[in-house]
Amino acid sequence: MSLTDKQYQEFDAIVGKKNISRDPGILDGYRYNLSHTAIHLGPHFDVLTPRGISVLLPGSTEEVQAIVKLCNKYKIKYKPSSTFWSAQGYPSDDNTIVLDMRRMDRILDIDAKNMVAVVEPGVIGATLQAETIKVGLNCHIQGSGCSCSILAGAAAWLGSGPGNLYGGWQYENLLGTEWVLPTGEVLRTGSLGYHDNSWYCGEGPGPSMRGVMRGMFGTKGSMGVFTKCAVKLHAWPGPQQIPVYGKAPAYTTKLPDNFRAFTLAFPDWQAWADTAHLLWENGIGYAAHRQFNFLGRDLKWGMIQILTDADKTISDLDNLINEPGFKEANDSMKIDFQIILAGMTQRDFDWQKETLDEILSITGGYIVECMETENIRNYTLLYLLRLGHKALNLVYGGGYDGNFGLINAIDFGSQRAEEVGDFKREWEKKGQIVAGGGDCMMGPIGGQGGGGTGLWENFTCFDSADKNSTDGALAFFDASFEYTKSKGWSGCGFEKLNSMARGYDGYATPKEVRDQGHANSPFAPAFRYQAKVYRSVNSNDMGDAYYEILED
Amino acid sequence: MALKDYAKEIERCSACSYCKWIPFDHVKSWRFAKNCPSIDYYNFNNYSARGRYLTSRSILRDEVKITDEIIDIAHTCLTCGACDVSCKICRYNLEPLEMVRELKAELAAKGNYPEAHKVMLKNIKEEANIFGISRKRRGEWAEGLNIKDLTKEKAEVVFHAGCSYSYDKKLSGTVKTAVEILNNAGVDFGIMGDAEMCCGAKIHSMGHHSEFDRLAKANIALWKRAGVTTIVTACADGYHAFKRLYPELGSNFTVLHIVEYIDQLIREGKLTFSNEVPMTITYHDPCHLGRQGESYEAWEGEEQKYKNQIVVHSPKKPRYNGINGIYDEPRNILNAIPGIELREMERIREFSYCCGAGGGARESYPEYSQWVAGERLEEAKATGAETLVTACPWCKTNFTDSLGDNAGFSVVDILDLVRMAL
Repeated sequence: MSLTDKQYQEFDAIVGKKNISRDPGILDGYRYNLSHTAIHLGPHFDVLTPRGISVLLPGSTEEVQAIVKLCNKYKIKYKPSSTFWSAQGYPSDDNTIVLDMRRMDRILDIDAKNMVAVVEPGVIGATLQAETIKVGLNCHIQGSGCSCSILAGAAAWLGSGPGNLYGGWQYENLLGTEWVLPTGEVLRTGSLGYHDNSWYCGEGPGPSMRGVMRGMFGTKGSMGVFTKCAVKLHAWPGPQQIPVYGKAPAYTTKLPDNFRAFTLAFPDWQAWADTAHLLWENGIGYAAHRQFNFLGRDLKWGMIQILTDADKTISDLDNLINEPGFKEANDSMKIDFQIILAGMTQRDFDWQKETLDEILSITGGYIVECMETENIRNYTLLYLLRLGHKALNLVYGGGYDGNFGLINAIDFGSQRAEEVGDFKREWEKKGQIVAGGGDCMMGPIGGQGGGGTGLWENFTCFDSADKNSTDGALAFFDASFEYTKSKGWSGCGFEKLNSMARGYDGYATPKEVRDQGHANSPFAPAFRYQAKVYRSVNSNDMGDAYYEILED
Repeated sequence: MALKDYAKEIERCSACSYCKWIPFDHVKSWRFAKNCPSIDYYNFNNYSARGRYLTSRSILRDEVKITDEIIDIAHTCLTCGACDVSCKICRYNLEPLEMVRELKAELAAKGNYPEAHKVMLKNIKEEANIFGISRKRRGEWAEGLNIKDLTKEKAEVVFHAGCSYSYDKKLSGTVKTAVEILNNAGVDFGIMGDAEMCCGAKIHSMGHHSEFDRLAKANIALWKRAGVTTIVTACADGYHAFKRLYPELGSNFTVLHIVEYIDQLIREGKLTFSNEVPMTITYHDPCHLGRQGESYEAWEGEEQKYKNQIVVHSPKKPRYNGINGIYDEPRNILNAIPGIELREMERIREFSYCCGAGGGARESYPEYSQWVAGERLEEAKATGAETLVTACPWCKTNFTDSLGDNAGFSVVDILDLVRMAL
């Protein structure tokens, strides 16, 4: 498929010739290589997502509207993406126009009084945070990191991250939104329905449009285009600029004494989960994540030493692991998580610290000694506050994906962590995936509203340039999916929902395959509801298969 | 290395887009958070390192024809290396700057480069400078300065003026200051005069590696014949070439940028400033003096797998991530000048924003090149400074051209400030 010259000229007339291309060389820059990571899709060696038929860079809502209307007229699918993190942001069918939203990257307003920021799709976590802390506020940065679009995390995905504990999941922060519907009409949700410039509320007009609009897991660019949205901001009791010290990549910060990062560890998973519950009950903590364990239970102390020393590289790992004292240090944080305490005042911080100490005395937890050097503490602080090192996910061989999502009460995942680790450790013995020690589980300490749920990713790293490795990783993902299914673990389907949308060839899977998967999912009722929404607003089927629907 | 040698890297690129931004930890504002001029200007993903990996993949697999658009994708890269620094915040096994250089070389080898490059190449071949001015006039800037001619005399140190300082009359005062400082310090030095050749850095950054090799070998031979041990230059491009690129061809001279020399003289008490220079300034780190000014480290080794699939190198591979460039020396000099108030921009040191002159873009994509300079000038002005100081003639020229008649703001070489303070 390709655009006719007449069609191309019509799109050109909307965005201008500098912002449109159908040169295959340009189009290939908008394909995703499924070899290295697909966020729960693959990996599929030597497979790229389909080449679009054109790329457009819209600069305004009006241009987006005009594009979408023209797509409807010619029955051409379109796929908007802001920062193109993972395969979900790329076309999954031929005859698709790619909308690269990077030109719409303005922060339209930071309303400090009402603690609201209004952003366009191209605004990323790093830039929004840099601006909001100037007025004493912080934004939630989703776990994919500060390189990713704030709007996409709120409207088009879940937006889980270390900041859940204090700021909720990103989708909970979604307020007024400007939505170019799949038909090209504009719907302005929440308080925007009453006043043109009132972004402070995401609900209504009438029933909650937030749920209708984004569905359960977010639309992932398949239901029209979100052109502006407001997100709730949270208190930032720190300086107007985060000071940064040290040499790349081992940057650290030094914040006032009302901030401090700790690595906590526990004798068993029950103590770990009990601590999470007590944190929520007492309302302490600013961010918390089981973070560095994604590097592997057996490797993390070595990697932490590499990441915090600019003179070291990954080629030092073997030496570090074999150094005297490594095993003791590494073993001291087998069952761990990182937490940041940030007091609104010094007195508040002192109270939080005392509370944390009390909690640890109850659960048997402790502060990990080797992580208490000033350098590592401040590295951890900066890491979790800005989330500017998330591409470390791919540090080992360029490939990673996560499984064993285990979304549920925090105890649910933690009670299964060792079993999950044992399962993976056996697969590591085959040699095709990185031998990290089985347990490579990473996840937030808190979900909705700061508490209540957990979400896990057991990191599986592989060499994306090595077919044997990617094949082994894929086989492992399939086996782990079958394992969780056989166990009847709630939420086990989470990590595989996306692969229902995209097959081994990079294209959308057949509808019957997706329906079967959705029907077997614990979220089937939600997908049935979303099908009704889909039929109401997307009758021309202009998006791709990422919006999860289940037809009756 | 050739582009095909980067095939594995292409598969290992995370497509994370870190290459488009300064290291995220250092982001201080929305306005000055980006690092890659070419994607800033052209916007399509291909104009970033991430996109160039994908374009390279398509070329290697013969999946695209080489169009003008693909030539632009490759050659609008300024080879400033900002992407390289940001990529290496999280990755230890990718070399995006090297890959893009090889992409340019792959295209250039088959004649796929902008028209302006053809002119520059012809000029280099005929006159040993990119401007096409007679090579017999290369030493004119030094007439009357009574500097040793090392094609006839001996000295330990050679001062390499470079193309820009040699031929641009507007810069002659600056380069004369450099030799005046060396003279006053009692350094036994000389120049190669008409025999000096272009360092080749620009040609190298445009992908013409064999022509670079010819120039480099010629310069190395000249220096060896003259018996020099140390190369001093005031040009950042030249510094990068001599410090980082020439050693790959067997050069083992000590290489100093003039700011290193001056800083050393100040620290030893051999140079003091007597005049007050009451100026509020900001300093622009030239890419080739800063992040690409790191010393070359020879390495021979191989890629290995560790813990099944961790990609490591044996022996440990040198890591060029910009942190060991020349950053403190120019700042030490500026802080030593009485009356100077230095106000830093947001993007400095290893994550400095480019001036727009590199990679042959000034000559082949002038509108874009000037836009990049303008972006940097906006950042400079945002500090409240009245003057932007740099330590590279190419940066200075590109900024000056972009600034035009903009009253109330100026661009100067650090040597000009030194002269004012002496």
